[in-house]
Amino acid sequence: MVEAQERRHLVLIGNGMAGINTVEQILKLAPGIYRITVFGSEPYPNYNRIQLSYVLEKSKAVEDIILNDRDWYLENGIELYTATTVTHIDTEQKTVKADNGMEVPYDTLIIATGSNPFILPVPGADKEGIVGFRDIADCENMLHAADQYKKAAVIGGGLLGLEAAKGLLKLGMDVTVVHLFEEIMERQLDHTASLMLQAELESQGLKFATGKHTEEFLGDKRVSGIRFSDGTTLDAEFVVMAVGIRPNIALAKESGIAVNKGILVNDYMRTSVPDVYAVGECNEHRGITYGLVAPLFEQGAVLAKHLCGVDTKPYEGSVVSTQLKISGVDVFSAGEFMDAEGLSIVRMHDDWRRIYKKVLLRGGRIVGGVLIGDGKESSRLQQWIRTGTIMTEAIHDAIVGLASVETGNTAAELADEEIVCGCNGVTKKHIMDAINEKGLTTVEEIKVATSASRSCGGCRPVVEQILQYVLGDKYDSAAAKQEAICSCTTLSRDEVVTAIKEKGLITSKEVRYALEWDNPEGCSKCRPALNYYLGMIWPAEHVDEKDSRFVNERMHANIQKDGTFGVVPRMYGGVTTPEDLRLIADIAVKYNVKLVKVTGGQRLDLLGVKKEDLPKIWKDLGMPSGYAYAKALRTVKTCVGSQFCRFGTKDSMGMGIKLEKKFERLDMPAKFKLAVNGCPRNCAESSTKDIGIVGNEGAWEIYVGGNGGIKARLAELLCKVRTDEELLEIVSAFMQYYRETGKYLERTSDWIERMGLESVTEAVVSDLDNRRALAERMEVALAQVKEPWSEILNNSNLRERMFDEISVSTKPN
Amino acid sequence: MEPILNRNEYTYYLVGNVDDFTERLGRVVRLGKEEIAVFKTTDGQIYALENKSPGPRGGTIAEGMISGEVLFDPICDWKISLTDGQVLDPDKGQVRTYPVQVLGNEVRIGLLTNGGGLFHE
Repeated sequence: MVEAQERRHLVLIGNGMAGINTVEQILKLAPGIYRITVFGSEPYPNYNRIQLSYVLEKSKAVEDIILNDRDWYLENGIELYTATTVTHIDTEQKTVKADNGMEVPYDTLIIATGSNPFILPVPGADKEGIVGFRDIADCENMLHAADQYKKAAVIGGGLLGLEAAKGLLKLGMDVTVVHLFEEIMERQLDHTASLMLQAELESQGLKFATGKHTEEFLGDKRVSGIRFSDGTTLDAEFVVMAVGIRPNIALAKESGIAVNKGILVNDYMRTSVPDVYAVGECNEHRGITYGLVAPLFEQGAVLAKHLCGVDTKPYEGSVVSTQLKISGVDVFSAGEFMDAEGLSIVRMHDDWRRIYKKVLLRGGRIVGGVLIGDGKESSRLQQWIRTGTIMTEAIHDAIVGLASVETGNTAAELADEEIVCGCNGVTKKHIMDAINEKGLTTVEEIKVATSASRSCGGCRPVVEQILQYVLGDKYDSAAAKQEAICSCTTLSRDEVVTAIKEKGLITSKEVRYALEWDNPEGCSKCRPALNYYLGMIWPAEHVDEKDSRFVNERMHANIQKDGTFGVVPRMYGGVTTPEDLRLIADIAVKYNVKLVKVTGGQRLDLLGVKKEDLPKIWKDLGMPSGYAYAKALRTVKTCVGSQFCRFGTKDSMGMGIKLEKKFERLDMPAKFKLAVNGCPRNCAESSTKDIGIVGNEGAWEIYVGGNGGIKARLAELLCKVRTDEELLEIVSAFMQYYRETGKYLERTSDWIERMGLESVTEAVVSDLDNRRALAERMEVALAQVKEPWSEILNNSNLRERMFDEISVSTKPN
Repeated sequence: MEPILNRNEYTYYLVGNVDDFTERLGRVVRLGKEEIAVFKTTDGQIYALENKSPGPRGGTIAEGMISGEVLFDPICDWKISLTDGQVLDPDKGQVRTYPVQVLGNEVRIGLLTNGGGLFHE
């Protein structure tokens, strides 16, 4: 290796994404050929500027968006000067001077000074409370403002402006987006797409003032409002300027390097001066300045190869695409997007589903596209635009074709870069590589290795198809069905349950020891499952293991993303009284509850309760827990029924309350929902419940296995019964049969498909002895349940440890 | 001139007794401005981590499940090492940890004497 002193000295001005990405690529291509020094004006190492909007909406902290931490610079022998601004480049002597007085010689210099927010040159633009949105300091400014002020205006309805506006809205501000043009994002979207996006954002709470030309900022020292050229005004205590960016060329210009809008560079990022390069947003290449991330990576790749003496094609410009990073809004745009002469256009506009798709063709080749409301095909579309692919039937179908019923295995048709798991951002290629490299054979293993299907599970069928596709004949569907319950063991659910019964294992520690678990304390998957199986098999003997319960089931409340909880008291059959309603309202006020929500299960959710207030609220309510958090009976939804409704043939409220009182609190494999209807009009929606009961003249119909959630499924008719007693016994037998044979977390909709409706009907309806035995075992299990809120209230030691924080001052006494 | 590194000098504060913490159940300790999740493992070891989920959805970690020296994040189910706060495969990230001293029955948690923070320029 060459000695440090002999190596060529590379100086990088600008510690942002463009510059550091170039350095990273240089280190990969030819480690050790340069001694590297980096100057950055901001007091942070290199961070992901694109994710600032996440920091603003508080879904990420500053540390989370750091791309290269200080150790990275140390490990790679890079000298880093943060909070240090280079003030002059002497291109003759080949040195740079910084604001801390130091002077450093260079052999090769890269300028990556990025860009500055453009501040409108109108009167009052220098008032307090007007900021740009460019760096972490701006972000902190905005977070601070949201605490103090209410009314905000964001000037600029482009990508950055909308992200800033949405962030401020999420922080609780009243936000108006001011835009010079009539249509937002007019540089990426056509008329239709722009209107759809605006409507969507309005429905989320943003306000818009479009076609408004800002003429003056009002206020004394601090901004108080904006006056527009049409004479109207807008109140604003805080203004974010997001009208655009300007390449930061001051340093280059002052040092005699040729500039226009940006620092002029050739196809290898060289400036007008030898050994001086410019990369990223600060440069201008073939008349274009870029403000997006993809071009700077492409430029960096060419520059790195050039500086390492590796053969490279020249940089010839980038096809830019735009993706809006606002949750719940799919917006994609790339290449040409406006109708124009010489273009053929494929268009699909669905106002009901709020989807708009447009693909623009020139001479049959794809040259641009816009996707609103459904961005699934965005990565493929971008690839087609980049390569100028010719439109085919298959592509047409993929983008605007009618959704056909998926039969057969379509995994082969997915592009490698296609995101299969939207929750965790896992691509098809990522999954295929994991299968091939690690020899995976089950979806469970893929889940552990790649995170695909780990969150909502909606993509599990696709993951399974990919597995089938990769393994071909080696794919073992039986193995897939008898999957291990988690990665701590190779045993399936049935093997574990049989062993627990045969060997008389009572605690989960015994199970893990006797069945030779790999991980002696288990994992977040098997711990709750074992706790459930043990309680189901040994209802009287097993002691519930609190440390194996998910947080919600342990705290008996639903944890929310901000660490507060939701409290849902029982409201049997969705029936309450004026006194109870008043009590709930008074308590909501007393504890300053953030929101009161009527839930889908006909009761009230008090949201935003602090952990330490939970026991106090329970005490004041004096009502039982509604188990809105549990793998147990949630609610029994009822219609008004024969007590009041003129169509009602059965007392659905009475039966619903009876069922809810009987089966509440009992642990089930998964959450469990019931509905009781007084007539076939089915107002309480039986068809999407685990058990849906429909009253007829003289009979009850029992439907089972319905689900309205992730995987919708209509309930199927189990049987018809004449008497209330029969109804109660069959419901009881069905629930117990599901408890005894269901896999933990398996809903009845999946369980019925696995077991087959016929065999379930045989076990809980036709075989009378079995039905009675199941119902008897159910009674034993029901005898064990306890009301959890009062249990915690009556145990001060438990209450203190679970709900009270320890508070210690750091101030010296 | 070399890049500046943190000097790790800590001041330790008494936060409670060993028995104030339950095995495998987290408890929140507010130490000055810091919100800390304190965990006791089956082996009786006590660990202190910043009570902030490293996952994309935010949230707190004190409510997570403990297995050996691994914490399962209650929000995103990521695995976090109690010993150094590192997020384990297949996810990436890090939770800030605080040094813990147990002297007899007393538990103390250390804060950086210079006020903490990651970077000093």
